Amino acid sequence: MRAGHIYLIIALVLLGISFFKEKQKTKEALKATLKIFYTIIPVMVFVFVLMGLIQAYVSRETIASILGQKSGFLGILYAEIVGCIALFMPPAVFPFGGYLHDNGASYGSIAGFVFTAILIGITTLPLEIKFLGKRFTIARNIFTFVLTFFIAALMEFILK
Amino acid sequence: MKKLLKNDAFQFLSLSVVITLFIYAVNASRGMIIAQTVYVTFFEVLDIIIAVSIFIGLFQVWVKPATIVKWLGKGSGVKGFIFVCTFPIFMGGSLFTIFPLLKTLREKGARTGAIASFITAWGGKAPLLPLETKFLGWHFALLRLCFVVLFAFVMGLLMDWVGEKSV
Repeated sequence: MRAGHIYLIIALVLLGISFFKEKQKTKEALKATLKIFYTIIPVMVFVFVLMGLIQAYVSRETIASILGQKSGFLGILYAEIVGCIALFMPPAVFPFGGYLHDNGASYGSIAGFVFTAILIGITTLPLEIKFLGKRFTIARNIFTFVLTFFIAALMEFILK
Repeated sequence: MKKLLKNDAFQFLSLSVVITLFIYAVNASRGMIIAQTVYVTFFEVLDIIIAVSIFIGLFQVWVKPATIVKWLGKGSGVKGFIFVCTFPIFMGGSLFTIFPLLKTLREKGARTGAIASFITAWGGKAPLLPLETKFLGWHFALLRLCFVVLFAFVMGLLMDWVGEKSV
């Protein structure tokens, strides 16, 4: 059985329990689910196109030389920068990260990419400043970038 | 029509089609590589995306922001600290959706460090585990999850230190 099917079954069981407990809330949840699904799919397709573009134009050697094990700490830094400017939604981060890994990027680089792609966004900076203040935003983003570097390096050390 | 053009979903999809067609026109075999990558990956993840959407939808409805605010309190003490370093791992959404919640938390008196820990722990993204394990494997996903807690913990300490200094 495909892993995806197992997740689907778990999701349906949870939906069933939710329906049993409160019908109205479950209806709301289904509405939210549809909305999430419609938001995720187009972004996913776009990211798959990007993956296809890389597949068509960038060689495995190039990816490995920039983000591979041999590029070491620099590779992690590059991956972090890509993560900061990538406009991905979190669900699209993992297929893209997995794709890069299959094509020679190291676990450390992928970890760097995943963390910064989720936690740092050039586009969300203005919003973060608006909601949480300039001082908070600057400090949080710098600390996130630096701590991600150490965690990514540790993960590379453990997983390689 | 105007509304359609401004729609994010429409923009992403049309941009995807335009890029693929353009590459196909320039170089048919490369265009085919892109089309194939999109097709294969799409059907590989479709069921996972449906499951993940259901997880996040259920969570949103059953755990309202007001409930989270109540549970967290001021994010102080050991209990509050453990809460902000672990609980957000199970939440969905993007940065856009959690900033308003964090603002509310802050107005209710949550510490700077607690807010920062919350954001970092939210980066754990447990609802997306099906996707993460599929593409990066269980080892990577579980290790990253463990590190997220540590990450959130250190982040909280650092941001509390920044928050206290008055500049």
